[in-house]
Amino acid sequence: MFLALAEMRRAKARFGMLIVSIALLVFLILYQQSLRNGLLNSFIGAITTQSAPVLVYSVDGQRVIQGSVITPDAEALVASAEGVGEMGRLAQGTFSVTTSEGAFDASLIGYERPSLGAPETLTEGRLPAGPDEAVASDVDAADGFDIGDVVTVQPGGLEIEVVGLAKDAQLNAGPTLFVTYPTYLDAVVAQNPDAGEPPPNVIALAPADGVSDAELVANVNAQSDDLDALTKDDAARETPGVSQIQSSFLIIFALYALVVPCITGLFFLIVTFQKAAALTLLRAVGAPARRLVGALLIQATAILGLGYLLGVLLYAPVSQQRLGGIALSFETTAVVVWALILGAGGLLSSLFAARRVLRIDPIRATTGAGVGA
Amino acid sequence: MNDRPIALDMRDVRKVYRVGDSDIVALDHATLSVERSEMVALVGPSGSGKTTLCSIAGGILSPTEGRIVVGGEDITGHSESQLTSFRQRKVGFVFQSVNLVPFLTARENLLVVDELGRRTGAAARERADELLDDLGLTDRSKNLPSQLSGGQRQRVAIGRALMNDPELVLFDEPTSALDTELGAQVMELIRSEVTSSNTAAIVVTHDERITDYCDRSVNIVDGKLQAA
Repeated sequence: MFLALAEMRRAKARFGMLIVSIALLVFLILYQQSLRNGLLNSFIGAITTQSAPVLVYSVDGQRVIQGSVITPDAEALVASAEGVGEMGRLAQGTFSVTTSEGAFDASLIGYERPSLGAPETLTEGRLPAGPDEAVASDVDAADGFDIGDVVTVQPGGLEIEVVGLAKDAQLNAGPTLFVTYPTYLDAVVAQNPDAGEPPPNVIALAPADGVSDAELVANVNAQSDDLDALTKDDAARETPGVSQIQSSFLIIFALYALVVPCITGLFFLIVTFQKAAALTLLRAVGAPARRLVGALLIQATAILGLGYLLGVLLYAPVSQQRLGGIALSFETTAVVVWALILGAGGLLSSLFAARRVLRIDPIRATTGAGVGA
Repeated sequence: MNDRPIALDMRDVRKVYRVGDSDIVALDHATLSVERSEMVALVGPSGSGKTTLCSIAGGILSPTEGRIVVGGEDITGHSESQLTSFRQRKVGFVFQSVNLVPFLTARENLLVVDELGRRTGAAARERADELLDDLGLTDRSKNLPSQLSGGQRQRVAIGRALMNDPELVLFDEPTSALDTELGAQVMELIRSEVTSSNTAAIVVTHDERITDYCDRSVNIVDGKLQAA
C-alpha cells in the first residue's frame, strides 16, 4: 500500500491520464449501452409493453405489425387452434397528428381487449375507459402527449385525449398511442372516410389454462403456413432490424471489453519496464515479489475504480437526455455488469506486468540492469 | 583479529556458471570472515569475482559449493523466499548504480525497508530520522532522489543500508560516481557509521585509496582470495 500510493502521489499526471482515459471509455460504453437500449425501446417498446403473450402475424407481414394483414379465414383458423384461451384483434397504423407542440407521425395501436394489447403497466393515469382516449408513451409526454393533452388526427380532426402514460412504449421510434379498437377505426375513417373497416393486422392471444405460450405458438403455426405466431418476446426480437442493431452493438461492446483491459495492461507493463531498476533494487534489499505484485494490483484496482467512478459520473447526467426521438435512461444493470467485466479484465491484464515483476532477478541490482534487461 | 563476534563466515565457497558447454569459475574456494565493526576492502580488477562474492555473502546469489553464515544464520541451503527474508533482516546494500527508488523521498527510501518486513511504525520513523540526522540530511528528508546531489543520494543509500540494523553491509564501489573530495567524505561517513552501528562491512573497490578507510584489505584475482 505504501509503495503503491506513494508512486501514485508522485506521478499524478501519469496515473491521472490513465484514469481519465478509462473514464472516457467507460462513459462511451455506458452511453452506447443507453443508446442501444433506447433505440430498441423506441422500435419495439410497444410490443414488449403490451399485455398479449402471443401475437399472430400473417407470414406476408414479415413480422411487421403494420405489414401484416389477418384475413377472416386466417382469423377463423387462429380461433380454432387448440389451446387458445383468449383472443382479440390488434391493428396498427401510422397517422399524421398534431399536438400543442407541433405535428408528428404517430403510431396508433388499437386493441380489442385491454388484456390483449393494452400496455401491461402504466406509470401514470389510466387505460382508456371510452372512445377517443389513449395511453401514450412517457417518452413523448413533452411533445404534447402528456396526460390531459389532446392529439388531433389529421386530416379529419378526430381528437384523442391522453389519459395514461406507459414506460418506453414507442413503436418505430415515433410517438405511439394505445387506443381501443373502435377509436382506432374512427381514426382510420377520420383520415379516409372511404377506407371502410380495415382487417386486423395481428391477432393477440392468451393460452388456455395448462397451455404454455410456446405450445400455443406451435398449435397456431400448425393451423396454416400463412400464419406466423410468436411469443411476445420473440415478436419483439424478430422485428426486422432488431437483431442487426443488437449484433452491431454487441461487436462494439466486445471491442470495448478488450480495449479497456488492453490499455490497463499495457500501461502497467510500460510502467513496470520504466521502474524496472527500482523494482530490482527493492527485490535486492529484501522486498518479497508478492509485495511488489500486491502494490501493482492495488494501483490497478485504484485506477480502474477511480476511472470507472469518473466515467459513471460523466454518464449519469447525459443518460437523462434525449437523443432525437430516442429517450435514454441510466442503465443500472449495465453499470454493474460493465464494472465487473472491466474490473476483471483490467486486473487480469495487469497480471502480465505482475508476471514481469515476479521474474525480476535481484542479482541485476548489482549490474544496474532492470526487468527487461 | 581479536575476539569480536564474527558477522560473516564464508567457507570454501565456489560459484560456477555454466556458459554453453564450458564452466566459468567466478569464485574459487573463497574463505573469508568479517567481524562486527570490521570494515574489509575487497580489491580486484573488473571480472575478478568481487561482485559475485558480495552477492553470495548478501544472499542475492546462491553458491555452487561452500558454506555461508551471516549473523549466526547459515544461509547455504536457503530457498529464494528465505534468502529474501534474510536480506531484509540481516543485510544492508549500497549498490554501484541504482540505489534509490525514484518516486520515494529520502525519508521514504529509508522507511521502505521497514515496510518490506514486519512494520514497526513509529520506531522505524524515529530510526529513519536519526539516520538522516547522522548523515546530515534532515533538511533533505522530503526531497526526491532527483532533487538530491550525487553525494546526498549516496548518503541516503547508506542510511537505507543501515536502516534494518544489519549484521553485514555490502558496499559495491560506493564512490565510483563521486569526485575525489566527495568520495573521501562518503568513505569517512561509512567508516563512522559502521563503527557506531557495530556492523560488519565489505567495501568492493578497485581504488586503492579506499583501502585506507578499511581495517584490512583482501585481494581477489580470478575468483581467488588473497590476503593483501
